[in-house]
Amino acid sequence: MSKPENTSKTKTFSRRLFLETTALAGGGLIISYYIPAPMMNKAFAAPPPGAPLPKPNAFVQIAPDNTITIVINKLEMGQGVNTSMAQLIAEELECDWTKIRSVSASVDPAYNHTAFGMQMTGGSTALISSWEQHRKIGASLREMLKSAAATRWGLPIAQVNAQNGFVVSKKGKFSYGELAEEAGKLPLPEKPALKNEKDFKIIGKNVNRVDAADKSNGKAIFGIDVRIPGMLYAVVAKPPLEGAKIKSMDKKAATKVPGVVDVVEFYGRVAVLARNTHAAKVGRDALQVKWDNPTNGKFSSDGLMENFRAQAKEKGKIAKDTGGVDEAMKLAKKTVTAEYEFPYLAHAAMEPMNCTINYDGKKCEMWSGHQMPGVDQAVVAAALKLKPADVKVNVVYAGGSFGRRASKSSDYVLEAAELAKVVKKPLKVTWTREDDMRGGFYRPMNFHRVAMGFDDKNKLLAWDHKIVGQTVIGGSAFEGMMVKDGLEPTIFEGVADSHYQFPKFRCDQTRATSPVTTLWWRSVGHTHTAYVMETMIDELAEASGKDPLQLRKELLAKSERHMRVLNLLEKETGWGKKKAPKGRAWGLAIHESFSSVVGQVAEVSMVDGMPKIHKVWAAVDCGLVVNPDQAKTQVEGAIVYGLSAALHQHVQFKDGQALQGNFNDYPVMRMIDMPEVKVAFVQGGGSPTGLGEPGVPPAAPAVANAIYKLTKKRLRSLPFSKELKGLA
Amino acid sequence: MDIHINGQSVKVDAEGDTPLLWVIRDELNYTGTKFGCGMALCGACTVHVDGQPVRSCSYPLKAAAGKKITTIEGMNDNITAAVQKAWVANNVPQCGYCQSGQVMSAVALLREKKKPSDADIDNALGGHICRCGTYQRIRAAIHQAAKDLV
Repeated sequence: MSKPENTSKTKTFSRRLFLETTALAGGGLIISYYIPAPMMNKAFAAPPPGAPLPKPNAFVQIAPDNTITIVINKLEMGQGVNTSMAQLIAEELECDWTKIRSVSASVDPAYNHTAFGMQMTGGSTALISSWEQHRKIGASLREMLKSAAATRWGLPIAQVNAQNGFVVSKKGKFSYGELAEEAGKLPLPEKPALKNEKDFKIIGKNVNRVDAADKSNGKAIFGIDVRIPGMLYAVVAKPPLEGAKIKSMDKKAATKVPGVVDVVEFYGRVAVLARNTHAAKVGRDALQVKWDNPTNGKFSSDGLMENFRAQAKEKGKIAKDTGGVDEAMKLAKKTVTAEYEFPYLAHAAMEPMNCTINYDGKKCEMWSGHQMPGVDQAVVAAALKLKPADVKVNVVYAGGSFGRRASKSSDYVLEAAELAKVVKKPLKVTWTREDDMRGGFYRPMNFHRVAMGFDDKNKLLAWDHKIVGQTVIGGSAFEGMMVKDGLEPTIFEGVADSHYQFPKFRCDQTRATSPVTTLWWRSVGHTHTAYVMETMIDELAEASGKDPLQLRKELLAKSERHMRVLNLLEKETGWGKKKAPKGRAWGLAIHESFSSVVGQVAEVSMVDGMPKIHKVWAAVDCGLVVNPDQAKTQVEGAIVYGLSAALHQHVQFKDGQALQGNFNDYPVMRMIDMPEVKVAFVQGGGSPTGLGEPGVPPAAPAVANAIYKLTKKRLRSLPFSKELKGLA
Repeated sequence: MDIHINGQSVKVDAEGDTPLLWVIRDELNYTGTKFGCGMALCGACTVHVDGQPVRSCSYPLKAAAGKKITTIEGMNDNITAAVQKAWVANNVPQCGYCQSGQVMSAVALLREKKKPSDADIDNALGGHICRCGTYQRIRAAIHQAAKDLV
């Protein structure tokens, strides 16, 4: 691989975009398109195998062999951004999709999220935030290539066309690779014309994932796979309780483990460094560390839930109030009250947390599935007292995240940096599965109480909703922006902003505290709010003698997208006309999250006291669908993720310690549990809305509503296994 | 000790009770085999030992003496090619971290059974966890690979 050398440079400035071309020694050209940023720090992206280095802040490169490299400024963690975001540029660029490759961006302000102003992946916003930006980048480049060809031919630009990686005219054709250098000298078009939806050839098509082959043959490199010559492997003994400090440490047994190189106390922890991960783990387990007992140490999740339940009796902050709820409830002839409990949940991504780092005392380089690479860079720079520019961040494939790698404190990256600060040798810190599951970042516990008041004709008068939940946003970079007057959306999103039209409605929230640290977990607040709303709506249907689908249509009549989704779901399932096979029942749920609306019908039977989910139909409005088959995979996966939690998962605490540690006590749905999932899209058009998360929220309540039909049990304390099998 | 891996005999300097996984990954640098749980619960570390799928995280190095180990990097037969082609065609991988292990078990199944039933797939792949929920596509891809191999 030849390293690019700058042999000539051309710069053209425009008001909004910034263009740079670089000729390579030995032929070839890189054209970089980027948005100027005064505080720019120059960090190169990780070198893709066999290719020249992308320019810092480049989005597109055209190589002499016509290979087009798209630099993806989001983390590929399974959701398919390396494919779907490349589709946006490729569509406007009119290129040959088979010549496209994607690489992950390093850190640069040019790669900031277009809405959040920081470089990050999250909130199901990859396509929403890139829709305009990426198509404009593709369109600008297309127009410049056309212009370069038109000049060569002496034709007006109107007489040349861009097609499949070539500019063509009556005089012949030039490949993009041939035109790249000349195109790079042209000014950037101010307002390149964007294509009409009806002319799309790549957007809206089922192009295969660009990473599918490498992820089927073992070649894909994840954070845990990165190797640096001479690297040591570290496994760390962490404080068993938040805030616990080391009282004493005996490393004799650990140092005797064959393969162990060193034992290092650092950052309130102890690391065992070894020549392989296994030796490091055996050494870590052989350490004799005595920790002090912090004052908040003896809590239990049961005790915390009792505390939440008690707080639910107190008035909190009003998230939504139509007025008149108390008066309506006084007039009610009948009330239905329900209380719900949601446990802590671990993300349990397949790839446990890890970070590879090389710090020599002056400069630092690190590799991980960074979901907020700019934050990780800043945190590590501060810890090592370096300038951010001296911390090179390499973003590699993440083996899942589900929110975990968007750490508020950059926890596992910072831990590696703190160790590197002491050791000053290349090293990889790997968390064991137990470290990962007990590592202290969870979907928080939540408690809901809903009271519905009815008149003497079973007509709903009022819906009074109280939620006690723990902060997710607190302590993050988003707190100032998202938490207003003590109101935290992750506690009430999906309730206070519900589209259901109730006569009187109030949502009161209490932001509780707990020693357990929390984090966003795929679909965040909607993980619990959708469950309560959608199971209570079924209860409302039963109380008012209505069909659950018809009642939802009545209450959502003013919400066009919800109605389209309900109609599609009705058509797909034959709801109302067809029935579930004998011994099975259908349950329905619909929920809006991350700007998309997803409805699901689950077909369920009971086997040995637990639900068996045979089939799930999903109807989805996520606006314009960029890659339908890949979009389906997101919904399929979201259903498995949501149902795994609903069926089996909870992290319980006793004496301050997380009890669950591995997949034996934190079970995940497997092949044999997999329902047939059928996904249909409302052909919404326009622009895309989120899809990484919105498939999760309706999954659990749809199944719960089916379980009720089969068992007459309303499951209100999750996971289902707790109530159904008494496994608590 | 000497072990035979991916068609080569290599000398390994590690304790006999070291799980094969860490010899493969850290000593020999075949990183396609993944660490997921360390307790044979998830299947991410699946390799073939004398053609049989085993969980390398719970298989001691010393047990591999005299046996032929194959990791995802050493898979080069027509069944593997058909499986990998079907994996791509069905958009199976999402994060992809578990897929080396899934492929290893799928190939072992197709070597045993030319036309596996859904129940065969449940049995052969039932020990694998995928947090992205790709099971439905894995099933479809195995059926497709079986068809392509006829």
